[in-house]
Amino acid sequence: MTFWKAMSRHPRGIVGATMLAVAILVAIFAAQIATYPPPFIPEDLGIDDIFAPPSPEHILGQDDAGKDVFSQLVYGSRVSLTVGFAGALISVVVGGMVGLFAGYYGGRLGNGLMRLTDFFLVIPDLALQIVIVAILGPSLNNIILVIGLLGWTTTARLVRAQTLSVRNRKFVSRAEAVGASNPYIIFKHVFPQVMPLMLANMVLVVSLAILSESTLAFIGLGDPTVVSWGQMLYFAFNRGAVSAGAWWVILPPGLAIVWVVLGTTLLGNALEDALNPRSARHYLEKPPPLPPKLEGPVEVPEHAALSIRDLTVTYEGTSEPLVAVEDVSFDVLEGEAVGLVGESGCGKTTAMLGALRLLAPGAKVAHGTVMHAGEDLVRLSDSELRTLRWDSFSVVFQGAMNALNPVKKVGWQLSEAILTHAPEMSREAAEQRSGQLLDVVGIPAERAGDYPHQFSGGMRQRAMIALALAADPILVVADEPTTALDVMIQAQVIELLRRIRSETGSALVLITHDLGLVAESCDRVVVMYGGVVVEQGTVAEVFHDPRHPYTQLLLKAFPDLDDPERELVSIPGAPPRLDQLPPGCRFAPRCPFAFERCNEHRPELVQLGSRREAACYLLESVEVAAGV
Amino acid sequence: MSRGRLVLRKVGWAVMTVFFVITFNFVLFRVLPGDPAKAGVKDPRLSPEAVEHLQEQFGLNKPIFINTDPGPWYDSQYFLYLGALAQGDLGLSFQQKNTTVNELLGTALVNTLWLVMPAQIISIVLGVGLGLIAAWRRGTLLDTGSLSFALFTWSLPTFFLGIVLLFFGSRNLGLPTAGMVTVGTDYDSVWAAASDLLSHMILPTTTLALVLLGEYTLIMRSSVVEVFSEDYVLTAKAKGLTNRQIVRKHAFRNAMLPIVTLIALNLGFTVAGAIQVETVYSWPGLGKLTVDAVTKRDYPVLQGAFLLLAVAVIIANLIAELVYLRLDPRVTEV
Repeated sequence: MTFWKAMSRHPRGIVGATMLAVAILVAIFAAQIATYPPPFIPEDLGIDDIFAPPSPEHILGQDDAGKDVFSQLVYGSRVSLTVGFAGALISVVVGGMVGLFAGYYGGRLGNGLMRLTDFFLVIPDLALQIVIVAILGPSLNNIILVIGLLGWTTTARLVRAQTLSVRNRKFVSRAEAVGASNPYIIFKHVFPQVMPLMLANMVLVVSLAILSESTLAFIGLGDPTVVSWGQMLYFAFNRGAVSAGAWWVILPPGLAIVWVVLGTTLLGNALEDALNPRSARHYLEKPPPLPPKLEGPVEVPEHAALSIRDLTVTYEGTSEPLVAVEDVSFDVLEGEAVGLVGESGCGKTTAMLGALRLLAPGAKVAHGTVMHAGEDLVRLSDSELRTLRWDSFSVVFQGAMNALNPVKKVGWQLSEAILTHAPEMSREAAEQRSGQLLDVVGIPAERAGDYPHQFSGGMRQRAMIALALAADPILVVADEPTTALDVMIQAQVIELLRRIRSETGSALVLITHDLGLVAESCDRVVVMYGGVVVEQGTVAEVFHDPRHPYTQLLLKAFPDLDDPERELVSIPGAPPRLDQLPPGCRFAPRCPFAFERCNEHRPELVQLGSRREAACYLLESVEVAAGV
Repeated sequence: MSRGRLVLRKVGWAVMTVFFVITFNFVLFRVLPGDPAKAGVKDPRLSPEAVEHLQEQFGLNKPIFINTDPGPWYDSQYFLYLGALAQGDLGLSFQQKNTTVNELLGTALVNTLWLVMPAQIISIVLGVGLGLIAAWRRGTLLDTGSLSFALFTWSLPTFFLGIVLLFFGSRNLGLPTAGMVTVGTDYDSVWAAASDLLSHMILPTTTLALVLLGEYTLIMRSSVVEVFSEDYVLTAKAKGLTNRQIVRKHAFRNAMLPIVTLIALNLGFTVAGAIQVETVYSWPGLGKLTVDAVTKRDYPVLQGAFLLLAVAVIIANLIAELVYLRLDPRVTEV
């Protein structure tokens, strides 16, 4: 089961589960474990038994009444765990119901229920618990009821959020469409989806309930007919254990509470993490060590803005590294525009982010060189790299919504980029330049004072382009700059890229799956599939005479402006997963021309002319045949 | 929605919540078995003035919510209670003769703030710092260490930590263990008085600060990790900023957003924590007042303390939401 697999990746969860299991076993076998059954007093009780320190007969000593501390501790687990689990059950059932109904029905009922939850959230739990238990009387049932009925708010919020997301899924709307009743849908379709999260939450609520019980007991509101850990501490504290120096009466019950609470917290957190994995890694982690320096010089064409050689990027896998990009090589000359194309998941973005050392944590450049401005970017120190960043190469990131800081004004973000690389510039000058940049991309300069969320999607994209131009870079990498934009805005952005290139003379790498965009705005094309380059050449060469079957099929799947009547044929199947890369040609499983050899060995790139190559055995045989 | 209207709406909700709490408070002390108000009147220990005030205050012969008998519809216990509250009258204590609940609550609130404010400030500063460093050095020994420490203190019952610190603080460090000041001392100077107060504050403040520290560290750490994996942090890195600059200019403020909310929500917890710490250290604050009122069945004090605690949390929440509004320009709806 995937769930258990996920759990096994959380060692803390296993530790927590073990701690909790120990406590449960102790509670079940309390009668067998305890050396002095209730009322915990030795038969020959004497004056020496008062606060007697640990001894072989009483391994944790005795309290003010001569009771055996160890036996009380063992029996105390029953009360703590009973209150914990029973209280949490009530909380989770009540909170779960409120959350389910509020999330499912939404509207007035849902809002009303959530407002009620908000009201209860501001009432100080402990104060209310104290008041109610004081009025109702401190019996175990009352304590459970009060703790249970006051702890449901967090569960309600959590379950509501989860229900809202489940509610919008297909199978729910389908069930509605066939006329299933609401209660039926809630319990048959929504509840099973919300259930795991509720259970994980319940484990956390157990720890809170145990803490509440012990606190109430310590205030003096514990059930006097049973022994609990909180009550042991209440008696210890109020009957002179501190002045008697009897640490053995204080530490064991306190640490027992810590044991159970820590165990449930660890388990609950691990369960939540396993069900709802959040990113645990981030961009500011210490980067992996740089690859060793190269022996000889790297051959680079004249006037190259970027030369990528044998670039290989790997991801950390569960057992061994996964190869995302393998031996990618291509050049971008000064002022040249290169389209990097292929379906999603073919490694285009990973290759470029790898080349510019901007990979997400967990991914790294395994080998290869990236020459830019006379330096090998792969082996440059962090501080040397920083001076090149943006000043010499910049990036228009995919999804400009999140690439701009939401709490900083757009103009500020532009000025920051300018000032970082021109520290001598005054703030006024930088602000003026920011205004000019916005003007270049067609945004009125006075909008510099806006926040990103006040811009439309197209404006944000153009602001991102303005940002990329802030320090007059030699090279701009634009990652899917037109996806998620409507056709009109797409045309504007394309026109903008073209105009800027002609004005500033910077080179451009355009990462896209939109072949039309490449045809319109690029000089050259590099086609990637399954992490490797399969073909490259000028736009004219590749579009009019594609040599690799993948390129041919990719072009057929795309509308042709010269021949709008042509039927579009999509390529069946999907690019390979990184953990299931085919041993031979990466495209062989989807290739209509594949033969035996394609499945066994990966074809090398065949040189077809100056800066023109493709990797396919069909070509080799043709070339070989031609040679003969 | 304009931000001005947003502020108005938040304030409106806060007022409604206060109203809800007042009603809840009224029902709680009137409807629950044992009927504390009537029980109070029967209490033989009460002074005659208190009984009279009680009769008048609670209008015990009147209907509970709405008057259906002849006379104005609002001639009921509930509206009487609202009227008294509107004049700031919380009634007289059952136990301490001729003392109003207002006086008792006022003194206790000030004493509690002496305890809670330093603890909050210390734990916020340390917790935010520790959480930031742990997230930044994610996966290192420092991270694992502070995470384990935070989880451990989070699992400690506040009163237990209080007892342990009291045990060692009094026996090994000779620190005072009860009250705010040494009773019956004439101070030579302001400094002597201040140092007496300070020595009484050390143990309870440390207890409260340690318990809060764990939670702030955990939340700050996960918030920072989340922000550090945002796209705009990658943009900042690509711009050529140093990690230090990225944290200062791009990540810190964004990572603080959840902390602001937590601080406000935590005020409710701090009050609960204060109840425990004040019990352990006999600190004459709101917590001790509440617990004493429970054991002595001093219902007017209990009711007043409960209202004060709830209103404090509501106000803190409102402030947090307004601060949030200033910190995050994106918020445009409730």
